[in-house]
Amino acid sequence: MATDEDLVVRLARGDETVLQELLQRYERPLSNFIYRHTSGRDVEDLYQETWWRVVRQSARFDPTRRFSTWLFQIAVNLCRDWHRRAPPEAQPLPDEMAAHDDRARAEAAVDAAALLAELPEPQREVIVLRYYHDFSEEQAAEILGCPKGTVKSRLHHALARLSARVQGSRP
Amino acid sequence: MSRYDERASADTPGNVDALQRHVEECDECRAAPPTIARVATLLNASVVPIDLMALSRRTLLQLQPEVARLGAAVLWRRVAAAVLLAVVPLPAVLAYDAYLLRTLYGLVSALLPATLAAYLIFGYAAFLMLLFGTTYAAIPVFLAGRTIERRPALG
Repeated sequence: MATDEDLVVRLARGDETVLQELLQRYERPLSNFIYRHTSGRDVEDLYQETWWRVVRQSARFDPTRRFSTWLFQIAVNLCRDWHRRAPPEAQPLPDEMAAHDDRARAEAAVDAAALLAELPEPQREVIVLRYYHDFSEEQAAEILGCPKGTVKSRLHHALARLSARVQGSRP
Repeated sequence: MSRYDERASADTPGNVDALQRHVEECDECRAAPPTIARVATLLNASVVPIDLMALSRRTLLQLQPEVARLGAAVLWRRVAAAVLLAVVPLPAVLAYDAYLLRTLYGLVSALLPATLAAYLIFGYAAFLMLLFGTTYAAIPVFLAGRTIERRPALG
Protein backbone atom coordinates (compact mmCIF):
# COMPACT_ATOMS: atom_id res chain seq x y z
CA MET A 1 0.00 0.00 0.00
CA ALA A 2 1.35 3.43 -0.96
CA THR A 3 2.31 5.74 1.90
CA ASP A 4 0.55 9.05 2.39
CA GLU A 5 3.74 10.84 1.38
CA ASP A 6 3.96 8.89 -1.91
CA LEU A 7 0.36 9.77 -2.63
CA VAL A 8 1.02 13.49 -2.15
CA VAL A 9 3.97 13.31 -4.54
CA ARG A 10 1.67 11.72 -7.10
CA LEU A 11 -1.02 14.29 -6.38
CA ALA A 12 1.49 17.03 -7.18
CA ARG A 13 1.94 15.40 -10.61
CA GLY A 14 -1.79 15.73 -11.16
CA ASP A 15 -2.74 12.10 -10.53
CA GLU A 16 -6.47 12.40 -9.91
CA THR A 17 -6.89 8.90 -8.49
CA VAL A 18 -4.86 9.55 -5.34
CA LEU A 19 -7.00 12.42 -4.05
CA GLN A 20 -9.88 10.05 -3.38
CA GLU A 21 -7.56 7.69 -1.50
CA LEU A 22 -6.18 10.52 0.66
CA LEU A 23 -9.70 11.77 1.35
CA GLN A 24 -10.75 8.28 2.45
CA ARG A 25 -7.78 7.96 4.78
CA TYR A 26 -8.23 11.33 6.44
CA GLU A 27 -11.91 12.23 6.14
CA ARG A 28 -12.76 11.14 9.67
CA PRO A 29 -9.74 12.47 11.61
CA LEU A 30 -9.68 15.76 9.73
CA SER A 31 -13.41 16.48 9.95
CA ASN A 32 -13.43 15.44 13.63
CA PHE A 33 -10.53 17.75 14.34
CA ILE A 34 -12.17 20.72 12.61
CA TYR A 35 -15.52 19.96 14.25
CA ARG A 36 -13.98 19.95 17.72
CA HIS A 37 -11.87 23.02 17.01
CA THR A 38 -14.76 25.16 15.79
CA SER A 39 -17.50 23.57 17.91
CA GLY A 40 -19.11 22.26 14.76
CA ARG A 41 -19.39 25.53 12.84
CA ASP A 42 -18.29 25.93 9.19
CA VAL A 43 -16.82 22.42 9.21
CA GLU A 44 -17.49 21.76 5.53
CA ASP A 45 -15.95 25.06 4.40
CA LEU A 46 -12.84 24.55 6.50
CA TYR A 47 -12.56 20.89 5.48
CA GLN A 48 -12.73 21.76 1.79
CA GLU A 49 -10.36 24.69 2.19
CA THR A 50 -7.85 22.40 3.92
CA TRP A 51 -7.91 19.93 1.03
CA TRP A 52 -7.83 22.80 -1.46
CA ARG A 53 -4.57 23.97 0.11
CA VAL A 54 -3.19 20.42 0.15
CA VAL A 55 -3.79 20.19 -3.59
CA ARG A 56 -2.45 23.66 -4.33
CA GLN A 57 0.66 23.21 -2.18
CA SER A 58 1.31 19.53 -2.94
CA ALA A 59 4.25 20.41 -5.20
CA ARG A 60 5.96 22.09 -2.23
CA PHE A 61 5.40 19.16 0.15
CA ASP A 62 8.60 17.64 1.51
CA PRO A 63 8.11 13.84 1.32
CA THR A 64 10.55 13.30 4.19
CA ARG A 65 7.97 14.92 6.48
CA ARG A 66 4.84 13.21 7.76
CA PHE A 67 1.80 14.02 5.68
CA SER A 68 -0.53 13.85 8.70
CA THR A 69 1.50 16.53 10.48
CA TRP A 70 1.44 18.76 7.42
CA LEU A 71 -2.29 18.24 6.88
CA PHE A 72 -3.14 19.10 10.48
CA GLN A 73 -0.81 22.10 10.36
CA ILE A 74 -2.87 23.46 7.47
CA ALA A 75 -6.11 22.69 9.32
CA VAL A 76 -4.87 24.35 12.53
CA ASN A 77 -3.90 27.50 10.67
CA LEU A 78 -7.28 27.66 8.92
CA CYS A 79 -9.16 27.07 12.17
CA ARG A 80 -7.14 29.80 13.89
CA ASP A 81 -7.94 32.22 11.07
CA TRP A 82 -11.57 31.19 11.35
CA HIS A 83 -11.60 31.93 15.10
CA ARG A 84 -10.20 35.39 14.41
CA ARG A 85 -13.00 36.06 11.88
CA ALA A 86 -15.99 34.20 13.28
CA PRO A 87 -18.35 36.07 15.59
CA PRO A 88 -18.95 34.24 18.89
CA GLU A 89 -22.10 32.20 18.72
CA ALA A 90 -23.96 29.97 21.09
CA GLN A 91 -23.21 26.29 20.61
CA PRO A 92 -26.10 24.96 18.51
CA LEU A 93 -27.43 21.46 19.01
CA PRO A 94 -26.89 19.71 15.67
CA ASP A 95 -29.97 18.16 14.10
CA GLU A 96 -28.30 14.77 13.86
CA MET A 97 -27.51 14.90 17.54
CA ALA A 98 -31.00 16.05 18.50
CA ALA A 99 -32.44 13.12 16.61
CA HIS A 100 -30.20 10.72 18.47
CA ASP A 101 -32.06 7.69 19.83
CA ASP A 102 -30.24 7.60 23.08
CA ARG A 103 -31.15 10.81 24.91
CA ALA A 104 -28.51 10.31 27.60
CA ARG A 105 -25.78 9.82 25.03
CA ALA A 106 -26.90 12.89 23.14
CA GLU A 107 -26.78 14.94 26.33
CA ALA A 108 -23.34 13.57 27.17
CA ALA A 109 -22.17 14.49 23.68
CA VAL A 110 -23.43 18.04 24.14
CA ASP A 111 -21.68 18.18 27.52
CA ALA A 112 -18.44 17.00 25.92
CA ALA A 113 -18.76 19.55 23.13
CA ALA A 114 -19.49 22.31 25.66
CA LEU A 115 -16.55 21.21 27.78
CA LEU A 116 -14.20 21.42 24.81
CA ALA A 117 -15.67 24.73 23.69
CA GLU A 118 -15.02 26.20 27.13
CA LEU A 119 -11.30 25.57 26.83
CA PRO A 120 -9.17 28.41 25.49
CA GLU A 121 -8.25 27.75 21.86
CA PRO A 122 -4.56 26.81 22.46
CA GLN A 123 -5.52 24.33 25.20
CA ARG A 124 -8.33 22.86 23.12
CA GLU A 125 -5.93 22.32 20.21
CA VAL A 126 -3.54 20.37 22.41
CA ILE A 127 -6.26 18.22 23.96
CA VAL A 128 -7.79 17.41 20.58
CA LEU A 129 -4.47 16.54 18.97
CA ARG A 130 -3.09 14.61 21.93
CA TYR A 131 -6.22 12.86 23.16
CA TYR A 132 -8.44 12.29 20.15
CA HIS A 133 -5.78 12.06 17.45
CA ASP A 134 -2.97 10.46 19.43
CA PHE A 135 -0.25 12.76 18.13
CA SER A 136 2.90 12.72 20.24
CA GLU A 137 3.95 15.89 22.06
CA GLU A 138 6.66 16.44 19.44
CA GLN A 139 4.17 16.10 16.59
CA ALA A 140 1.64 18.33 18.34
CA ALA A 141 4.38 20.92 18.82
CA GLU A 142 5.24 20.73 15.11
CA ILE A 143 1.60 21.05 14.09
CA LEU A 144 0.96 23.95 16.42
CA GLY A 145 4.26 25.65 15.65
CA CYS A 146 5.37 25.92 19.26
CA PRO A 147 8.00 24.28 21.50
CA LYS A 148 7.31 20.90 23.12
CA GLY A 149 7.40 22.57 26.54
CA THR A 150 4.51 24.81 25.52
CA VAL A 151 2.48 21.76 24.49
CA LYS A 152 3.15 20.18 27.91
CA SER A 153 2.22 23.35 29.71
CA ARG A 154 -1.00 23.78 27.68
CA LEU A 155 -1.88 20.14 28.30
CA HIS A 156 -1.37 20.63 32.02
CA HIS A 157 -3.61 23.71 32.11
CA ALA A 158 -6.23 22.02 29.93
CA LEU A 159 -6.33 18.96 32.15
CA ALA A 160 -6.50 21.07 35.29
CA ARG A 161 -9.37 23.09 33.83
CA LEU A 162 -11.24 20.02 32.57
CA SER A 163 -10.73 18.23 35.85
CA ALA A 164 -12.03 21.20 37.84
CA ARG A 165 -14.99 21.49 35.50
CA VAL A 166 -15.81 17.77 35.78
CA GLN A 167 -15.53 17.82 39.56
CA GLY A 168 -17.59 20.99 39.74
CA SER A 169 -20.36 19.54 37.59
CA ARG A 170 -20.78 16.53 39.86
CA PRO A 171 -23.21 16.87 42.75
CA MET B 1 0.35 2.48 4.19
CA SER B 2 -0.97 5.48 6.04
CA ARG B 3 1.37 6.48 8.85
CA TYR B 4 -1.46 8.16 10.65
CA ASP B 5 -2.50 6.31 13.78
CA GLU B 6 -5.60 4.27 13.13
CA ARG B 7 -7.06 5.28 16.48
CA ALA B 8 -8.04 8.59 14.96
CA SER B 9 -9.58 7.10 11.86
CA ALA B 10 -11.86 4.82 13.83
CA ASP B 11 -14.60 6.07 16.09
CA THR B 12 -12.75 4.78 19.13
CA PRO B 13 -12.26 6.61 22.40
CA GLY B 14 -9.27 8.86 22.77
CA ASN B 15 -5.88 7.98 24.16
CA VAL B 16 -6.21 7.94 27.96
CA ASP B 17 -2.67 6.57 28.25
CA ALA B 18 -1.28 9.72 26.66
CA LEU B 19 -2.96 11.87 29.29
CA GLN B 20 -1.93 9.47 32.07
CA ARG B 21 1.69 9.55 30.86
CA HIS B 22 1.61 13.31 30.84
CA VAL B 23 0.37 13.39 34.43
CA GLU B 24 3.19 11.04 35.47
CA GLU B 25 5.83 13.19 33.77
CA CYS B 26 4.44 16.63 34.64
CA ASP B 27 5.58 18.00 38.03
CA GLU B 28 2.63 20.39 38.28
CA CYS B 29 0.12 17.64 37.43
CA ARG B 30 1.71 15.31 39.97
CA ALA B 31 1.28 17.99 42.63
CA ALA B 32 -2.46 18.22 41.96
CA PRO B 33 -3.42 15.17 39.88
CA PRO B 34 -6.38 15.77 37.56
CA THR B 35 -9.17 13.20 37.48
CA ILE B 36 -8.15 11.70 34.16
CA ALA B 37 -10.69 8.88 34.14
CA ARG B 38 -13.66 11.23 34.61
CA VAL B 39 -12.32 13.73 32.10
CA ALA B 40 -11.77 10.91 29.60
CA THR B 41 -15.29 9.56 30.15
CA LEU B 42 -16.74 12.95 29.35
CA LEU B 43 -14.44 13.56 26.38
CA ASN B 44 -15.30 10.11 24.98
CA ALA B 45 -18.94 11.15 24.78
CA SER B 46 -17.98 13.68 22.11
CA VAL B 47 -19.87 12.87 18.92
CA VAL B 48 -19.11 14.35 15.52
CA PRO B 49 -22.36 14.23 13.52
CA ILE B 50 -20.98 14.56 10.00
CA ASP B 51 -21.95 12.59 6.91
CA LEU B 52 -18.40 11.74 5.89
CA MET B 53 -19.25 10.13 2.56
CA ALA B 54 -21.24 13.13 1.39
CA LEU B 55 -18.59 15.54 2.64
CA SER B 56 -15.78 13.73 0.83
CA ARG B 57 -17.87 13.37 -2.32
CA ARG B 58 -18.54 17.10 -2.46
CA THR B 59 -14.89 17.87 -1.69
CA LEU B 60 -13.70 15.50 -4.40
CA LEU B 61 -16.07 17.03 -6.95
CA GLN B 62 -14.90 20.51 -6.06
CA LEU B 63 -11.21 19.63 -6.21
CA GLN B 64 -11.14 17.47 -9.33
CA PRO B 65 -10.77 20.42 -11.74
CA GLU B 66 -7.87 21.74 -9.66
CA VAL B 67 -6.08 18.37 -9.74
CA ALA B 68 -6.70 18.14 -13.49
CA ARG B 69 -5.21 21.62 -13.83
CA LEU B 70 -2.14 20.48 -11.86
CA GLY B 71 -1.77 17.48 -14.16
CA ALA B 72 -2.05 19.66 -17.25
CA ALA B 73 0.54 22.09 -15.87
CA VAL B 74 2.97 19.24 -15.17
CA LEU B 75 2.40 17.80 -18.66
CA TRP B 76 2.99 21.15 -20.37
CA ARG B 77 6.16 21.72 -18.37
CA ARG B 78 7.42 18.32 -19.55
CA VAL B 79 6.42 19.05 -23.14
CA ALA B 80 8.21 22.41 -23.06
CA ALA B 81 11.35 20.79 -21.62
CA ALA B 82 11.25 17.98 -24.19
CA VAL B 83 10.70 20.38 -27.11
CA LEU B 84 13.54 22.61 -25.87
CA LEU B 85 15.80 19.57 -25.62
CA ALA B 86 14.81 18.48 -29.10
CA VAL B 87 15.36 21.96 -30.55
CA VAL B 88 19.00 22.13 -29.35
CA PRO B 89 20.45 19.76 -32.01
CA LEU B 90 18.02 21.03 -34.68
CA PRO B 91 20.38 23.60 -36.36
CA ALA B 92 23.08 20.94 -36.75
CA VAL B 93 20.56 18.43 -38.15
CA LEU B 94 19.17 21.02 -40.58
CA ALA B 95 22.66 22.04 -41.69
CA TYR B 96 23.58 18.40 -42.28
CA ASP B 97 20.35 17.84 -44.22
CA ALA B 98 20.98 20.90 -46.36
CA TYR B 99 24.46 19.59 -47.12
CA LEU B 100 23.01 16.15 -47.93
CA LEU B 101 20.33 17.62 -50.21
CA ARG B 102 22.91 19.73 -52.06
CA THR B 103 25.17 16.70 -52.55
CA LEU B 104 22.23 14.57 -53.66
CA TYR B 105 21.11 17.28 -56.10
CA GLY B 106 24.60 17.45 -57.56
CA LEU B 107 24.67 13.66 -57.95
CA VAL B 108 21.12 13.32 -59.37
CA SER B 109 21.43 16.30 -61.71
CA ALA B 110 24.55 14.68 -63.24
CA LEU B 111 22.43 11.65 -64.21
CA LEU B 112 18.96 13.19 -64.84
CA PRO B 113 17.61 16.39 -66.38
CA ALA B 114 17.87 19.39 -64.01
CA THR B 115 14.06 19.83 -63.71
CA LEU B 116 13.50 16.19 -62.78
CA ALA B 117 16.45 16.28 -60.35
CA ALA B 118 15.02 19.44 -58.70
CA TYR B 119 11.58 17.78 -58.48
CA LEU B 120 13.05 14.68 -56.81
CA ILE B 121 15.19 16.67 -54.37
CA PHE B 122 12.31 19.02 -53.45
CA GLY B 123 10.10 15.99 -52.94
CA TYR B 124 12.71 14.47 -50.67
CA ALA B 125 13.13 17.78 -48.81
CA ALA B 126 9.35 17.96 -48.32
CA PHE B 127 9.39 14.40 -46.98
CA LEU B 128 12.14 15.33 -44.52
CA MET B 129 10.18 18.40 -43.36
CA LEU B 130 7.11 16.21 -42.83
CA LEU B 131 9.23 13.76 -40.85
CA PHE B 132 10.55 16.58 -38.63
CA GLY B 133 7.07 17.99 -38.11
CA THR B 134 5.65 14.60 -37.18
CA THR B 135 8.53 13.92 -34.80
CA TYR B 136 8.03 17.20 -32.91
CA ALA B 137 4.25 16.82 -32.90
CA ALA B 138 4.65 13.34 -31.42
CA ILE B 139 6.49 14.67 -28.34
CA PRO B 140 3.39 15.83 -26.39
CA VAL B 141 1.41 12.76 -27.46
CA PHE B 142 4.22 10.44 -26.35
CA LEU B 143 4.65 12.25 -23.01
CA ALA B 144 0.91 12.25 -22.30
CA GLY B 145 0.79 8.51 -23.01
CA ARG B 146 3.74 7.84 -20.71
CA THR B 147 2.22 9.96 -17.93
CA ILE B 148 -0.94 7.86 -18.02
CA GLU B 149 1.01 4.56 -18.18
CA ARG B 150 3.24 5.52 -15.25
CA ARG B 151 0.37 5.95 -12.80
CA PRO B 152 0.49 2.86 -10.62
CA ALA B 153 -2.71 1.35 -9.29
CA LEU B 154 -3.54 2.20 -5.67
CA GLY B 155 -3.62 -0.50 -3.07
